[in-house]
Amino acid sequence: MRLSKILKCSLCQRRLAGAALALAMTLTAALLAACGGEGQGPDVPVVSSIRVGTGLAADQTLRRALDAMPRTLDPSLLTDVDAQKVTDDLFEGLTALGLDGSMVPGVATSWEVSADGKNWVFHLRPEARWSNGDPVTSADFIYAWRRQVDPKTGTEYAQALAPIVGAMAVATGHAPVSSLGVDAPDPLTVRIALNSPTPYLLFLLADSFMQPLHRATIERWGDDWTRPEHWVSNGPFVVKEVVIGNRITLEKNPLYWDAASVRPNQVIYYPLETLTQVGRFMAGDIQFASIFPNSQFKWLKSQLGDQVVTGPYLGISQMEVNMLGPPFAMSRDLRLALNLALDRTILANKVGEGLQEPAFSVVPPLPGYRPQIPEWASWSDERRHAEARRLYAAAGYSAAHPLRVQLDYPTGEDNRDVFDAITAMWLTNLGAQVEPYNEEFRVLLQNLRLHKAALFQNGWIGDYPDPFTFLQLFQTGFDQNFSAYSDPAYDALLSAAAQEADPARRFRFFEQAERRLNEEGVSIPIMYYTSRHLVKPYVKGWQLNIQDRIVSRYMYLLEHEGG
Amino acid sequence: MNAAILPRPARAAGQWRQSWERLCRHRPALVALALLGFVVLLALLVPLVSPYDYATPDWDELYQPPGGGHLLGTDGLGRDLLVRVMWGCRISLLVGIAASLVSVLIGVLWGATAGYAGGTTDSLMMRIVDILYTVPFIPLVIVLTVLFGRSFLLVFVAIGAVSWLDIARIVRGQTLSLKNREFIEAARALGLSNTTMIVRHVVPNLLGVVILFEAFLSFLGLGVHAPLASLGTLISDGANHMKSHPYLLTIPAVFLTLIVCSFSYLGDGLRDALDPREQR
Amino acid sequence: MLKFLGRRLLIALPTMLVIATLAFGLLHATPGGPFDTAKRMPPEIQRSIEAKYHLDEPLWRQYLRYLNDLAHGDLGPSFQYRNTSVNELVRAGLPVDAVVGSLALLTAMLVGGFTGTVAALRRNSLWDHVPMFFAVLGISIPVFVTGPLLILVFAVQLHWLPSGDWRGIDIRYLLLPVAALALPYTAYIARMVRGAAIEVFTSPFIRTARAKGLPTRTVVLRHALRPVLMPLVSFLGPAFASVLTGSIIIESVFGLPGIGRYFLTGAINRDYTLVVGITVLYGALIIAFNLLADLCYAWLDPRVRLQS
Repeated sequence: MRLSKILKCSLCQRRLAGAALALAMTLTAALLAACGGEGQGPDVPVVSSIRVGTGLAADQTLRRALDAMPRTLDPSLLTDVDAQKVTDDLFEGLTALGLDGSMVPGVATSWEVSADGKNWVFHLRPEARWSNGDPVTSADFIYAWRRQVDPKTGTEYAQALAPIVGAMAVATGHAPVSSLGVDAPDPLTVRIALNSPTPYLLFLLADSFMQPLHRATIERWGDDWTRPEHWVSNGPFVVKEVVIGNRITLEKNPLYWDAASVRPNQVIYYPLETLTQVGRFMAGDIQFASIFPNSQFKWLKSQLGDQVVTGPYLGISQMEVNMLGPPFAMSRDLRLALNLALDRTILANKVGEGLQEPAFSVVPPLPGYRPQIPEWASWSDERRHAEARRLYAAAGYSAAHPLRVQLDYPTGEDNRDVFDAITAMWLTNLGAQVEPYNEEFRVLLQNLRLHKAALFQNGWIGDYPDPFTFLQLFQTGFDQNFSAYSDPAYDALLSAAAQEADPARRFRFFEQAERRLNEEGVSIPIMYYTSRHLVKPYVKGWQLNIQDRIVSRYMYLLEHEGG
Repeated sequence: MNAAILPRPARAAGQWRQSWERLCRHRPALVALALLGFVVLLALLVPLVSPYDYATPDWDELYQPPGGGHLLGTDGLGRDLLVRVMWGCRISLLVGIAASLVSVLIGVLWGATAGYAGGTTDSLMMRIVDILYTVPFIPLVIVLTVLFGRSFLLVFVAIGAVSWLDIARIVRGQTLSLKNREFIEAARALGLSNTTMIVRHVVPNLLGVVILFEAFLSFLGLGVHAPLASLGTLISDGANHMKSHPYLLTIPAVFLTLIVCSFSYLGDGLRDALDPREQR
Repeated sequence: MLKFLGRRLLIALPTMLVIATLAFGLLHATPGGPFDTAKRMPPEIQRSIEAKYHLDEPLWRQYLRYLNDLAHGDLGPSFQYRNTSVNELVRAGLPVDAVVGSLALLTAMLVGGFTGTVAALRRNSLWDHVPMFFAVLGISIPVFVTGPLLILVFAVQLHWLPSGDWRGIDIRYLLLPVAALALPYTAYIARMVRGAAIEVFTSPFIRTARAKGLPTRTVVLRHALRPVLMPLVSFLGPAFASVLTGSIIIESVFGLPGIGRYFLTGAINRDYTLVVGITVLYGALIIAFNLLADLCYAWLDPRVRLQS
């Protein structure tokens, strides 16, 4: 009776309902599939229809992306990479960034260095101007540098000036600001006294922390001086407007001494999430994306071809061990076992989509520096795994008594796959049970400062293209020496290098130090970073460089259609 | 007076059986139940039966589309997607149901008490709800993680602690309006009305919200840790590959949708079954 | 009525105080500070920065100072965006969220309400099953999927609409974010309205009215509307407050400079004042909208005696 009721009363309706449901589901699935359809293989590129002419475009407004909103545009106070990208366009230091990322004369036209490498003299160009017409003088540099180390200013990176005599004494409050080892004998000359020969000084001078500042503006407006209405800078651009969270608009500084060679009229920076950048780029709203997800590399390459640009980046993703306690402090065998058991080529090619270079030692490739690749890097997989297992057993571990340790790493979109793969490799190759544990960055930082983590990721980006910035990580007493590695022999090598004026001999010391690190296995390098960009084909006047500092002033737009 | 509020007798045994029969007549609910049952069965059996596990990478089989050796394909590390999705279903269902139960329990108790008590007690209790609504979520989660370490239990607590608020408000609202009608069976009517209303309004929708909540928590470091993944995590990972490998997104999304849809239709069926006012 | 309002406003103040205190305490209990960078600063500089932001004072004094500023409407300086005050950030971000959020909820109410009512009236027909199915979909698919999906289809593929950015009240730039934000609320409201409407329509009272021959429209508008609106109202109260303070995902997917993004980065960067400031704002809005909701309750259902 009930059944017939169902059949009679509701049959049609239920059938319709079912059909409707099925139809809806199919439509939805089709929609989803259609939208993702292009991804199934090399297909007609989405943005294939951009035609590029040969003349300059009428509108020379550059639209670039940043990974995050800069916290401040004050060159002394900033701490994030994104802020520095913007200030690279706003200020010019004694040296400046050239088209290929090398150091070219900026405000300084020439310089000399003493025989012992510790005393530098810079000669400024008389035609350099601030954006309000005032001449740029040596006093502006002295003012800025003193401000940088003065504890009262509260900058977060006073150590940037550590190579300069007296800098740290001032920063720690033990000496007056005037004792900083810099002086200006006349308005067009700057002298710097260093603690030891510092070959990378020229790179340091192009950093935001070494930029000149316009004293009158800062003294008049205080913290508000960075507002567009008060802004004064000496670089190719000035700040026109800042909409927090949305964009920063720069416009050409007509009083810049080399304004004639500055092509763009306006540069607009948009802080955007990674995926959003891809979307905006493909929709044509931005022309120069600062990043794209690793995992999308192959697909983007198939869609956008040459618009996907990658190059080496001065940084390394590596893991470190805690040298203060078990299980790693006493057991070099264990450290090396973990090192050998890692299949880096698989990580780089399969997980990293071939984007990143496998790293076997801490210092990335640098000109003039001999890479210290350990011998076992070229062994066959079988031999390497066998040796790893031997070391693991020698350290006292086995199937019955496996290594159980936690691997701390910061939360981040690309990280999870990498560390899943790493821990799986250790399980397969050694039988070690390493548990990946992701934490929010600041929480991790605190744990690292307190040396609480036994095994952790410590990705490191070099401040300047020199081995010291990487090897310093393992120097006794360095603040970011989170592994607490302390080796007098290693420290001695670094000190010797610091005192060495001849660049080649200096590098030899570093090479020895790095060899020592490899032997100790304190660092478990994973991969060297790459810089990744998406660039429209009509954007010219840029080149990749190892520090990924691509300034806007050389860039220009060709006339184009579509995209 | 509103004739809908006739005194209702207590539920006799016969009435429950009638409700069950009504449920059985509700076609979509039955389909939903069957579907849910099927998913649960899959989630339990597949990981036991499959030659693949959720954690072991297979370097030769990265990003395989569905079909062939891997029924639903593989992910970026060559892990079988079917097994991972099944584990995801397990976790999402477990977390969803447990956390929802917790929050429903707290919410009903709180809201009913507030609405029934009225006066200052009601005011106070609802102010507490207001306050809890505004507690900043991310720092709370971080503090909890640091203070209590990593614990699956914490996921329930965190989700339950936040989701009961809506229920409390709705229950209290209903209680308020029903309570002022003077008749003997007010409490019974309340209980019934609340149950049906919760079942109808809140439970089907809450579960979906709760499951997505859990994905967010996993992302912050609370909850299941890699390489395990809940449906929410699989979906958010898949969203990163939306353009290049859409199946990584659509498959877990379909399962999630299936589960949430099923709970919804099941909820509809339960409503019809429990509340005889609505004739079919 | 006035007595009711007065009482509620009186309670609002201590509520705000508790909210502010809780938020303040919670933030400071979280490990890590706003000026923690990987590069450790010399202690002298650390002290200087802390002095500037009063972080070196004992916690109770910082708390009282904060309350004092709050009473004057000053939410304090932002710790992460140096040289900017929280008031400025809120002033900049609030209009964005207000516009997008209210449009989204308005859409949700209209579309959801209409769909839900029609579904209830035409129960078990296509008008019911199909929209309800999409409603369930709308709730189950997370916003971080629908957002990018919309961009993919309408901006990247079809080039009909821009892929994001904030250009004020410009429908081209608002359409996608509002749609993405409105979808889950629409779905939720549609289901809720349908359920409530069904309950009402099958109630003996309504059946009597229909039996009397009253046209459907009269029945709907005059008698059924109130009981349907009540659960809606209780949902919308907090919903308005939450969209106003920004949907974080919508903001980051579409690149909108709203409050939600500040909150997220603020929590991660331990920007105490920003997070507490937005929390306090959120609290004020919740209280305000709940009050509104309660007033609507009273208006809708006169049987609810206003507490006195």
